[in-house]
Amino acid sequence: MISRRALMGTAAATLAAAATLAVSPRARAAGDLHVLNWQGYGTDEAWALEAFKKKTGLNVVHDYFNSEQEMLTKLRTSPGAYDVVLINSTYTQQASSEGLIQPIDTSKVTNFANLLPAMRDSAYLNTGGKTFGISWVWGMTGIAYNEETVKPAPTSVEVLWDPKLAGRVCLRDDAIEVVSFAAIATGQDMNHPKDLDKIKAKLLALKPQVKTFWASEDEWNKFFAAKQFDVSTYWSGSAARSKTNSKLPVGFMIPKEGGIGWFDGLSVAKGAPNADGATAFIDYMVSPEFYYEWATKIGAPASANLKANATLPDGDVGKAIHGDVEAVKRLTYMAPLSDQERQAYGDLWSEVKTELAQ
Amino acid sequence: MRDLGIWAVRLYLGLMLLFLYLPIVVMVLLAFNRSPLYQLPIVWDTVWFQSLIHNDRLVGAGLNSVGLALVNMVIATALGTMVAIAFARYQFRGKAVLELLLFPPITIPWLIIGISMLIFFFWVGIGRGLHAMLLGHVALSLPYVIMVVGARLKGYGPALEEAAATLGASPWQAFWRVSLPVMAPGVAAAALFAFAVSFDQFVISYFLAPPGVSTLPVEIYAAIRKGFTPEINAISTIIILFSMGLMLLIARLYRFGGER
Amino acid sequence: MMQEARRRVAIGFLTAPAYVWLTVTVLLPLSAMLFFSFLTVAPINGREAQLTTEHYLTFIDKDFYRTLTWRSLRLGFDVTLACVLVGYPAALALAKHVKGRWREAIFLLIILPFWSNALVRVYSWTMVMREGGFLDWVLHWMAPDAPPFGLLFTYPAIVIGLVHSYLPYVVLTCYISLEAIDDSLMEAARSLGASTLQVFWRVILPLSLPGLLVGVILTFIPVIGSFMEPRILGGRAGIMLGTVIEDQFTTVFNWPRGAALSFIMLGIVLLIFAASAPLLRSRLKGL
Repeated sequence: MISRRALMGTAAATLAAAATLAVSPRARAAGDLHVLNWQGYGTDEAWALEAFKKKTGLNVVHDYFNSEQEMLTKLRTSPGAYDVVLINSTYTQQASSEGLIQPIDTSKVTNFANLLPAMRDSAYLNTGGKTFGISWVWGMTGIAYNEETVKPAPTSVEVLWDPKLAGRVCLRDDAIEVVSFAAIATGQDMNHPKDLDKIKAKLLALKPQVKTFWASEDEWNKFFAAKQFDVSTYWSGSAARSKTNSKLPVGFMIPKEGGIGWFDGLSVAKGAPNADGATAFIDYMVSPEFYYEWATKIGAPASANLKANATLPDGDVGKAIHGDVEAVKRLTYMAPLSDQERQAYGDLWSEVKTELAQ
Repeated sequence: MRDLGIWAVRLYLGLMLLFLYLPIVVMVLLAFNRSPLYQLPIVWDTVWFQSLIHNDRLVGAGLNSVGLALVNMVIATALGTMVAIAFARYQFRGKAVLELLLFPPITIPWLIIGISMLIFFFWVGIGRGLHAMLLGHVALSLPYVIMVVGARLKGYGPALEEAAATLGASPWQAFWRVSLPVMAPGVAAAALFAFAVSFDQFVISYFLAPPGVSTLPVEIYAAIRKGFTPEINAISTIIILFSMGLMLLIARLYRFGGER
Repeated sequence: MMQEARRRVAIGFLTAPAYVWLTVTVLLPLSAMLFFSFLTVAPINGREAQLTTEHYLTFIDKDFYRTLTWRSLRLGFDVTLACVLVGYPAALALAKHVKGRWREAIFLLIILPFWSNALVRVYSWTMVMREGGFLDWVLHWMAPDAPPFGLLFTYPAIVIGLVHSYLPYVVLTCYISLEAIDDSLMEAARSLGASTLQVFWRVILPLSLPGLLVGVILTFIPVIGSFMEPRILGGRAGIMLGTVIEDQFTTVFNWPRGAALSFIMLGIVLLIFAASAPLLRSRLKGL
């Protein structure tokens, strides 16, 4: 017998549940600005959003993605939903040719003149005389190692294949990154290597070396703190943060054979409800005032704004790493790739991973 | 000999519960650990519960998840039970096809379903939002409900209702006072599955949630990239305590300890 | 005639709401995806797409897809078997040997994990299983000289994590079938001279088959497509068909390939169940 009490209870529960749902959603309000970015990547810092709101009266609402393809999917399937989008420079051309982003009026970006010319004027961000992305931050991907256990400090990319470090290597599970490092190790063009079979063989040679993969900075920190590995590929800014904030004995180097350079840009989505607000937000993001707080209080990659970088105190670990002119010279910057190339590298890496799992 | 049997049963169930609760106990304990990197040994502190109060996004996501899961539970259980009753009672042409159609939603990875829903809803004009998420959650829960209630009904068949009819009960009475109580454990189990499917649902929520609205799995998954602190453990502990209380309440209402 | 019409109305009324919902929200979108799987590229934003079977053929072409499918099927089998071996006896114990307050209490305990988020549970397992984690800590507390113990980033770790997630499902579905079995049936069989084993094999097991079967289906199928637990618990052992399908949507833009792989997986699942249907039908005939 189902008692009346039971029925009443169920009815009450359903109403309560519906009520909690009704409370939460907000339709887009006029004073809103929608930003699409990685979570915890600078644009969603609470103090920054408050300062921006004071300045412009705009309330910033965030949506996040977990991979660049997901960012593109969201842009493709939700036109008019976003104002500002973070797009890695290797994807900006694709986004603009697909009509997902619109040209930015650089005269409205007050910090434009102070941006690093190599990135600001890069062909990746500018097409047909129009600017589709404002270079925001940049960094390097190199080799991080445990200063206490790996001595002397390594200088070559071959350290990943060092038999003494068998089972102590951690890699990022990213096809482009591993192919790039294998290309560097086999002396090929990092972005468009000609001999993929050689790359595959080199990666398969990592079978006895790899302990596990890391996917985010936080995961990396947790593994490192638990002493799960001694050497890995890693980002420059993250290495600085792990050393300073998490107080881990992290050493970082760009291999003598070469390293990966990358930069991210901020773009305005096509059909953005508030393009002017978007431009104002981007301007604020590349400003020295924002960067100084972000870099010193929380930790950030290097800024593409020369003036912003200059505000960092001299003892800053990140400043030292990114200011190492010799290391920066050894970088090759990530270039846009065609879908076919990404597919080829993706398939190659899947095959290697299948082999590594056996 | 009898006693040995009873103790063996108790030991077996006890070990199984130990296995089920090992990570949950660890999860709760680490909510009280000061180290943000989950380093052992545990340093007792309630700091994460305190910071949770200020984490509007996480709390909002938690509420959304629970609310969505409860509404989904009610709708999916109701609609699914109706189908299970039809399958159990009637033979009809096309029934096999309908049963077959339950497989795609549970087989095709939710990622594919999520993306195809996103495109389809966008094309049809439904767009993104809580309503779209609810549409998705119910659809994914339905096969679970139908199968679980169906399994329960297979054990009974139409015989009970026919017996009730011969004793003078109207079809409505037969259903309400005989079939429904007999189905009840199956329906309750199905409701739980529906709740779990929605509550753990990451992909549909991720693609169909509009900017500014989030659910717990989405927050947790994104937090994993950014840096998840024991705040996640704190909110999970709260939800577990809340649900323990809720279930004790339900147990009072439904009395399913068994009348035998 | 009226009876026939009433019957039709009843069937329609009962099944229409759920199936309309399913069709609009899942089946129609999936049909679109099925169509995509036969195109060269997803026809988004002005891309020209041609019909092709290349994505299906690539499954036959590239060895590693078959290796991965086999890995995933094996994972599904291992997890489902473990869940059934552990869960069915537990359900049987609960349904027949434990009564009243205890049954209620244990039941609630089994259900409670449903209310915790699966992802958090999986992460808690990493805390338990990794080197320096809980198990390692307990081991060293008892035997300080033992080497570091870590289960994490191995295939067994994935199995443990998945069994933990799906065990309550199996216990629950077996329970609802077992509980429905009338005790008098068992007593009758015993009074006719059947041994305990015979009672189990010829009365209890067949009657509980529907619940067991649903538990198997709802465990095996999601497990072979899983990607969350393999990624988090498996490390380098964590590549499965599910993770590679996910990759086609999250790391490269190849929806047709991802869709094709998914529908191949669906086909394999249907094949497995079609192959076992005759066996099951004979068992279920009596019900």
